[in-house]
Amino acid sequence: MRYIFKFPDIGEGLDEGIIAEWYVDKGMQVEMGQPLVKMETDKVVTDIPSPKTGIIAALYGRVGETVHVGSPLVEYDLPGISGAAAIEEAAKPAFETVKEEGAGVVGTLEIADNSAYLPASSEDLSSSGHQSAQKSPQRALATPVARAMARELMVNIDLVQGTGPAGRVTKSDIEEYVTRDAKHGRQGIETHDTKHVTRRNEDGVPGHESRVTSHDLEVEIKPLSQIRKVIARNMSLSHQNTVPMTVFDEVEVGELIRIRYKYKEQFEREGIKLSYLPFILKAAALALKSHPVLNSELDLENNRMIYKKYYNIGIAVDTEEGLVVPVIRNVDRLTIKDIAIAINQISEKARKRSLTMDDMKDGTFTLTNFGSIGGQFAVPVINYPQAGILGIGRLVEKPVIKEGKVVPGTLLPLSLSVDHRIVDGGEVARFLNRVMEYLSDPVSIIIG
Amino acid sequence: MVWQPEETVIVLGQSNQADTAVNTDISEADGVMIFKRPTGGQTVILTPRTIVISVRLLSEKLDNPQVYFKRINKLIIMALANLGVSDLNEKGISDITIGEKKILGSSIYRKRNMVFYHAVLNISETPEFIGRYLKHPSKEPDYRIGRKHEDFVTSIHLSGYPIEADKILEELRRILGENL
Repeated sequence: MRYIFKFPDIGEGLDEGIIAEWYVDKGMQVEMGQPLVKMETDKVVTDIPSPKTGIIAALYGRVGETVHVGSPLVEYDLPGISGAAAIEEAAKPAFETVKEEGAGVVGTLEIADNSAYLPASSEDLSSSGHQSAQKSPQRALATPVARAMARELMVNIDLVQGTGPAGRVTKSDIEEYVTRDAKHGRQGIETHDTKHVTRRNEDGVPGHESRVTSHDLEVEIKPLSQIRKVIARNMSLSHQNTVPMTVFDEVEVGELIRIRYKYKEQFEREGIKLSYLPFILKAAALALKSHPVLNSELDLENNRMIYKKYYNIGIAVDTEEGLVVPVIRNVDRLTIKDIAIAINQISEKARKRSLTMDDMKDGTFTLTNFGSIGGQFAVPVINYPQAGILGIGRLVEKPVIKEGKVVPGTLLPLSLSVDHRIVDGGEVARFLNRVMEYLSDPVSIIIG
Repeated sequence: MVWQPEETVIVLGQSNQADTAVNTDISEADGVMIFKRPTGGQTVILTPRTIVISVRLLSEKLDNPQVYFKRINKLIIMALANLGVSDLNEKGISDITIGEKKILGSSIYRKRNMVFYHAVLNISETPEFIGRYLKHPSKEPDYRIGRKHEDFVTSIHLSGYPIEADKILEELRRILGENL
């Protein structure tokens, strides 16, 4: 029978490794425990021993290629195992502890599961009445690049005929598959440089049509940076764990502009850049004190709310590497000048890429100032497990009515997203009103 | 074995390439040799201001690599703590830090029945010197969060512990010798 050995987790918590050296080749007889391949992860180079005695039927991957934990590494031909014995072998659990004396790698090695059971052509399992074993769904063998491309183009990779080693699907197989389908018009038509390709769901059933330009095939695949991984994880957490609701409003900030202008030069002489952000941060902190539910956290596991009596406000900062959210602590106790200094410091650290985990933890509420780049309103994503995030848009001049007269005004757009599981609509509106009161009358911020 | 390099050399990790990991124009101009080791991890620079710790363990029954990282790094922390260094932490897969800054990196090479652990401990090398030769690594631990060498790396001396290298060597040898 054929048996597929998958790359095991070697215990670093990492999900991939690089093939450093093959010790075996196709057709070679190997003994259980004999080193098969040298694999490199972030901090470990280790020999992977053979979990079986048998003949190597195929090696999955070349030196330098990345293999994900759980992906096929070596395919064996296990001589003398056929019929009922093969079924028994295939029925073994997906995970099996390899005994220490038999192998250099200790711990749990993933053994091919039933779906990886591939009877060799010379083995006639069908004659032994086990058709179901042969018909079990098989996952295509493919290079990581091919899998990524298939996902990108929503191609069911299991339907693609592989031309790589041991029938493995390669990048060019995916390209050929997409091009051929489009040309044959079975799933779409080709016009100029654009193809209409039917996309398939996971079961291979044709789904909706979409346009794939020829340029889509010229993909560049890059590994995720650590920052991007963290951003992706946090965004997913927010999406999965909150019920977001967003309220939009505008506040006339003519007085705030006047005060900021008045003190800007004075601050500059002290080397401090004074933007509108310190006023908004302070206004938010004071409003949070009056509306504690916006500064809280839902602890569903213990059926309780956690109200935080400290007001640490994170500021979403756009950097070349991606979004980071450094935190300014105890904003309610800081002066406008203190906050301006703190903002200057974290901006400098973000620019120099020297922010630490300590700079970014323990936030209780978040501000995102997308207006400094552009845009008036947005639907900010809650920084889970916080209860809310306030988006600041670009200042715009509009006519406003003051004392019964239409006069020019400068409006600051605000977008407040909250977790509706925690915060009710009325409280959202009251909190936002309070923030706007502070911003329209900045002296009240100082008075508190 | 615990030892101090006599000259400055750069050592690439198993899959590192000199042109992507090292400022080769500077290393060449300065006459700094580049070597490659058979173990994983990123490129390191060894200087007379660093200490290299090498441990070989033989066993019929090998554990998970994390077991060895933790076991040996804890002994190194114990030795440094005995000399008065505080705020020592294990971070990433196998680093030791003072606060949020790295002072030691380690990696493992494992063959059947043998584990080889090695680490570089920064006694007094300046992060600027390291940043002069090494480019930003292709992979980094979560806690680095994009920081440049100058903001990510520190030394025992820079962290406020002007302990002589000989004393550190002596204590590391004693602790590792008694416990391994």
